[in-house]
Amino acid sequence: MIKARRGTALLAVLAAGSLVLTACGGDGGSDPNELRLWHYEAPESAMAVAWNQAIKEFERTHPGVKVKFEEKGFEQIQKTAPMVLNSKDAPDLMEYNKGNATTGLISRQGLLDDMTAEVARRGWDRMLSPNVQVTSKYDEKGVMGGGKWFGVPNYAEYLQVYYNEDLFEEHGVKVPATFAEFTAAMDAFVKKGVTPLANAGAEYMAHQFVYQLALDRADRGWVDAFQRYTAKANLADPAWTAGAATFADWVKKGYVAKDSVGLKAEDAGVAFMSGRHPMMFSGSWWFGRVAKTAKFDWDTMVWPGAKMTPGSGGNLWVVPKGSKNKKLAYDFIDITMKKHIQNALGNAGGIPVAADPAAITDPKAKKLIGNFNTLAQNNALAFYPDWPVPAFYDKWVAEVQRLMNGKGTPAQVLGEVQKAYDAGLPK
Amino acid sequence: MTATLTGTGARPRRERRDARRRRGPSAYLVLVLLFALAGVMLIPFAVVVLNALKTPEEYSANGPLALPEGFSLEGVTAFWERTDFGQVLFNSALISGSVAVLAVLLSVLNAYALGIGRIKGRMWVLVVLLLANTLPQEALVYPLYYLAKQVGLYDTRLAVVIVFTVIQSAFGTYLLASVLSAFPRPLLEAARIDGASRWQVLRHVVVPVVRPTMAVLLVFFFVWTWNEFLIPLVFLVSNDNQTVSVALGVLQGQRLMDATMSSAASLLGLLPTVLFFLVFQRTLSRGLTAGALK
Amino acid sequence: MSGKATRAAGRERLGYLPYLVPGLLLFTAVIGVPFAMNVATGFTEWDGVGTPEWAGLANYARLAGDGEFWASFRHNALVIVAMAIAPTAIGLVLAALLTDLVDRHFGPRAASVLRACVYLPQVLPIVIAGVVWSWLLNPQNGAVNEVLAAVGLESLAHDWLGDPATALWSVLAVMVWVQIGFPLVVFMSGLQRVDPSLYEAAEIDGASWARRFRHVTVPQIRPEIFVVLLWTTIASLKVFAPIYVLTKGGPGGATSVPAYYSYQNFFDKTDVGYGAAITTVLTLIIVALTVVFLRAQGQGPEGER
Repeated sequence: MIKARRGTALLAVLAAGSLVLTACGGDGGSDPNELRLWHYEAPESAMAVAWNQAIKEFERTHPGVKVKFEEKGFEQIQKTAPMVLNSKDAPDLMEYNKGNATTGLISRQGLLDDMTAEVARRGWDRMLSPNVQVTSKYDEKGVMGGGKWFGVPNYAEYLQVYYNEDLFEEHGVKVPATFAEFTAAMDAFVKKGVTPLANAGAEYMAHQFVYQLALDRADRGWVDAFQRYTAKANLADPAWTAGAATFADWVKKGYVAKDSVGLKAEDAGVAFMSGRHPMMFSGSWWFGRVAKTAKFDWDTMVWPGAKMTPGSGGNLWVVPKGSKNKKLAYDFIDITMKKHIQNALGNAGGIPVAADPAAITDPKAKKLIGNFNTLAQNNALAFYPDWPVPAFYDKWVAEVQRLMNGKGTPAQVLGEVQKAYDAGLPK
Repeated sequence: MTATLTGTGARPRRERRDARRRRGPSAYLVLVLLFALAGVMLIPFAVVVLNALKTPEEYSANGPLALPEGFSLEGVTAFWERTDFGQVLFNSALISGSVAVLAVLLSVLNAYALGIGRIKGRMWVLVVLLLANTLPQEALVYPLYYLAKQVGLYDTRLAVVIVFTVIQSAFGTYLLASVLSAFPRPLLEAARIDGASRWQVLRHVVVPVVRPTMAVLLVFFFVWTWNEFLIPLVFLVSNDNQTVSVALGVLQGQRLMDATMSSAASLLGLLPTVLFFLVFQRTLSRGLTAGALK
Repeated sequence: MSGKATRAAGRERLGYLPYLVPGLLLFTAVIGVPFAMNVATGFTEWDGVGTPEWAGLANYARLAGDGEFWASFRHNALVIVAMAIAPTAIGLVLAALLTDLVDRHFGPRAASVLRACVYLPQVLPIVIAGVVWSWLLNPQNGAVNEVLAAVGLESLAHDWLGDPATALWSVLAVMVWVQIGFPLVVFMSGLQRVDPSLYEAAEIDGASWARRFRHVTVPQIRPEIFVVLLWTTIASLKVFAPIYVLTKGGPGGATSVPAYYSYQNFFDKTDVGYGAAITTVLTLIIVALTVVFLRAQGQGPEGER
């Protein structure tokens, strides 16, 4: 009994003490000599490498001011940004996802500072190509491509074909330059019993194939209609129908594995990096990791024969309306836009938006960035298929899975996607 | 008090060690099958350990199920520094520990009134209290966010402690109330006739008998609160206040995840809960004898 | 019983009311008020910030016609089997075996080790559990298929999470794995209250293990069985995370569940009004079920003692 009583007393003390402790904390207040900065890039990523350099430079050029950086989880920012920004705990400057459902939404809710004047004054608009600017500017409904600046991207991204040169050589297949050569190469691999493309049906990879295959038959007006609601988007049109039908056909032909329906992007990336597939069509976000991991010779190219390809400016720097140190925040953005920080981002495997091409030393990175610049100048970045309406991503994943499993025809699948699209359009 | 108990409610469990002599071959078979089952239950943990010890390059090149080539603690140390894990662990322990203790206390009080007191309309009171669990947590997020902001508790650990004390105590109330409504009435009446107050009956008659159940609740509440994700995610904005499960989230990027570091980090994060379970597991089987018969 | 005695008993019962006060107060602040706010939000159109706009019954009308929402309840029936019924049944048998056989014949240490192993999946964060199981179930190089191949059962190898025919079953199996530790621990603690002489008497009478299980174990921990069943049933009606980390509701909606809708509306679409309407309906369904359940429990042998 005594033992038990001592235990109870101990627990009681513990509880009382912990209550006192939990009550404090959560200062959240503002300090004119502190820049509170949040982003969610992993420390070894190109962005974080460049931004750490920017933090050092900022503290040097702003004596007496400290940068209080907090690394956040992507999901935490996605789920809670409107709540945090609507409280006194908002940071002075943060990274946030571009697009209508994210930056567009909170700009409409009045939670972000309109930085149009600042952008003009500091000349950021002249550094960014118009194609990249689209995701920074929103109209009063929160639709991208509007007139007011609510964010500035520091990097960019696009989809490309990563290929394993060793496997091409081993199987005697020529690296394709045109779409016809591309399919011929895939046929050759299939004949040798090798699945040519890595794929992940449970995540973004599969529907990005469908989008790319549709883009091959589309033009800019088609993209703007779908992404920016400039006209009514018709998912039953020839481009979409061909995109879905071609992808379904590719599954049948074995260009992508039939059993990749339930795989995640991570599985597909690892399959490519471990040398199981000669090609992977995915984003520049894999670049640094492939460079670090691949034990074979590899390179990248734009989708063979593409007029347009999925891609855009990267995530944005946004300044919350409640920021107490707006000037410091803009000073910081300015530093990240400087040539040497942008060059550092490029040399670390990212795609800078305002770098000096001559300063990029690694030949693969040079090619990556060169290809991007060509696409951006040609107004060929077509954003991503899941952007136009909220929660569209899950719909795409589900429907393209049905397509891969043969449980839905291209027309049925696109019909379901159209329904979700129409239901999600801004009123 | 204890003397009364020995006669009715509880009896020494391990008075008959000699039962061991009757192990038949079928008993051995069952034992082997049970250990096989336990082994299967642990396979995913083996995979977590496997990947926690790999370098990211090994993982990417050989896949998640290959054996590690060496013994790399890179993931563990890198994660520790990246998230200030000492602080995060402390926050989780503080929050889960407080919730476990407070929710058990609250459950005992509620259950005493409902199960022993059998107050009028107790079933409806129980239904209402169970709302804490039947209501999906998503529904609580926005209202609690606004309430917490009103009273200045947004971004404090105290807010999370209070919320989970109530949510977890719903289970405790229900379980204890059910157990207590089957409590031997003569025992209670005898104590009351002896002049014991309600409080004394609770402390000296009821609590000792249900101590194993309370230990179970303590373990559950600790583990459940430790693994809670959504509400801590919303309420603990500053990194200084974050819990283990929220900190794990930094490894799941927008499009990439860090599998080796996630494995290492989750291993690190679940160690305290496993320790907690193992420590209280002993109380769990000892509870009765220690409480009632010494 | 005379009227006077009843009144006395009533007064006696009233004396227990103060013990309920802290619980009710905290409940009102943390659950009661937010629940009322949530119900009110269900009648509005709101994106989480600013002033909600009154929308009357619009959200409910929309929900009534939302075919996908109601269709996903079908999966829920199976989820109840995997998260409530199967784990409770398995947990009950395991608890009885561990207490009545392993503990008594091989010592408490063996029983404790086994209990800890079975309980362990409950402490693994569900996100990590999802990642690990998707590795094990990977159709191309996952352990499950490789083990099948190693024992000569290649024909059974399968795209577990990608084929709509097996995706839900695979998810359900993982749920059983996650879940059985919970009933096991509750039942084993309940069995500690049981007088061991009951078992010994039954054993001496020559009752088989199955008879002892039916006539001693189950009746003795009846309260726990009810609690665990109700609890896991509620959890399975609200389930979301385990499915989402494994399949994201796929392939093609084959594993979608209702709770996912509210989550998506609250956080992805920030259509808080509609999300609130969905959770209100879901809550009412669960509460109705709870009432039925508690009624059944109250009618048991110890209910009106």
